[in-house]
Amino acid sequence: MLTIALAKGRLQEDALALFAKAGIVVAEEELNSRKLAVLSADQRFKFVFVKPGDVPTYVEYGVADAGVCGRDVLLEAKADVHEPLDLKLGYCKIAVAGRKEVVGQDYNLLATVRVATKYPNIATEYFHRKGIPIETVYLSGSVELAPILGLSDRIVDLVETGRTLRENGLEVIDVITETTARLIVNRASFHLKRDAVSKLISELAEALNPS
Amino acid sequence: MSSLTKIPAGVQYFFDDEVRLRRHVERQAMEVFAGWSYNEIIVPMFDYHDLFARGMGAERAERTYRFTDRDGALLALRPEMTSLVARTVATRFVHRERPIRLCYSGEVFRYDEPTERAAREFHQLGIEQIGQPSPTADIEVLLIAAEMLGSLGLNDFRITLSHVDFFNGVAKALEMNENNRAQLRELIDRRNSVALDEFLQTNAPSMTEERRRAFCQLTQIAGKGEAITKARGTLRNETSRTAIEQLASIYETLNELEMADHFDIDFGDAGGIEYYTGLTFKVYVPGCGNEIGGGGRYDNLISNFGKSEPAVGFSFALDGLVNAVIRNQNFQPTDEAGQTINLDGNLVQAFRQARKLRSQQTKVKIQ
Repeated sequence: MLTIALAKGRLQEDALALFAKAGIVVAEEELNSRKLAVLSADQRFKFVFVKPGDVPTYVEYGVADAGVCGRDVLLEAKADVHEPLDLKLGYCKIAVAGRKEVVGQDYNLLATVRVATKYPNIATEYFHRKGIPIETVYLSGSVELAPILGLSDRIVDLVETGRTLRENGLEVIDVITETTARLIVNRASFHLKRDAVSKLISELAEALNPS
Repeated sequence: MSSLTKIPAGVQYFFDDEVRLRRHVERQAMEVFAGWSYNEIIVPMFDYHDLFARGMGAERAERTYRFTDRDGALLALRPEMTSLVARTVATRFVHRERPIRLCYSGEVFRYDEPTERAAREFHQLGIEQIGQPSPTADIEVLLIAAEMLGSLGLNDFRITLSHVDFFNGVAKALEMNENNRAQLRELIDRRNSVALDEFLQTNAPSMTEERRRAFCQLTQIAGKGEAITKARGTLRNETSRTAIEQLASIYETLNELEMADHFDIDFGDAGGIEYYTGLTFKVYVPGCGNEIGGGGRYDNLISNFGKSEPAVGFSFALDGLVNAVIRNQNFQPTDEAGQTINLDGNLVQAFRQARKLRSQQTKVKIQ
């Protein structure tokens, strides 16, 4: 049996729908229960539902053989896992945003820019690549508030439609990268449970691109 | 916070059963190495930083703990054993008959990033065999690794075999620059076939769609004979083809030795290419999320310290082995009770009895 860690929330339903399309179904009553671990109908898979940011951890340590989480989370966690499939779900951008007034402004290369974000690693890497000194302020939610209240000059956050930004008077300054949900696989499971893992990958690939 | 309760990140204390188990695993492994005529070598805990930079490359030597000698020379805690062994062989063992077989057991220190969760002090066990070319020596070290795992009761292990020239040949044939090479390697390593396909479309436009597909598929494959057949059908460049045939011959020998069940060929492993020159391998056991050991051929390393010589070796993390033993068979280290001797006020009599028992190798405990 393979254990699969699924990100709760935004991606959960879409991911389960894709698994169902691949013939891997979880009974409705199981899903509606409050269980954190449920079995697929054919008993081939155990799904565990965890916070999105924790998916790479479960998979990297091998307590889950595979997992589904956004590329944003993978980049931030720098998880050492295989990433065999782009599941094309939950498309978003990871963007730098700020108040309208700062949008056109150049960065002062001698002063640190203060950036509020859920993604300190991604933000730091982006600004360092541009040679701009950065100070990150870690926030776990409502990141858009930071520039409004003057906590930071800019934010680095997920942008889906840009509506939240606009409604808070913020604008995208630059898109760092794009993100979609990925299937990730533990490095040891890839070899030790090779048959089951390759079967899962090909079933999901088939569901994504029916031949 | 007091240094009585806090310990630095990445280091560990061991006591009681944990120590017994660690020593048991270490002894077991060293006995197997000795059984194949590998002599233990003890090397210093620190040496000149320059030595490690020469051996492992400047980038990897960056991850050392460094400090200065009294004369200002830059020193480093050993981040690995192989450079120290290689230097010894190239200088002190110049006139010794080849092949030279050495094994070691000891702590190494590495500062990895991101490191919050990672150990910085590791106990490594390993062997190096110098002076014998592939495939004889390669097969020997693979069999030693297998025997060692078996001697610890880890019978479900899997060793994946790869070869650096598999990747090198592809990158060369596609005329990749340094940047693209790194990206290609990363994509193969993550087994991200979709992104790999897109990357090749952009950066290797000369590749036909059919060949691109086949190549992407190949990098997702790890397997037995069928993987070799697939690779033979997919890759045309000379360097990769030679690598495939070398792997195939090693695998065939393992097969004839009835060991093939434990081995897989992995065409999606592009690790260690700046250091290894031929065969590479990684060892996996159930219950451990990452490889617990690995090694390969490094025919260029010794030449950094003297004349060029073929060499092959492996190392295991003692932690990985210990965890695997715990998870796979509930090893119970025994702390045998021994004989209790009561002092009862007569010191001389009690210790006389204790010494007598000790002379018969009996374990005693003064109470």
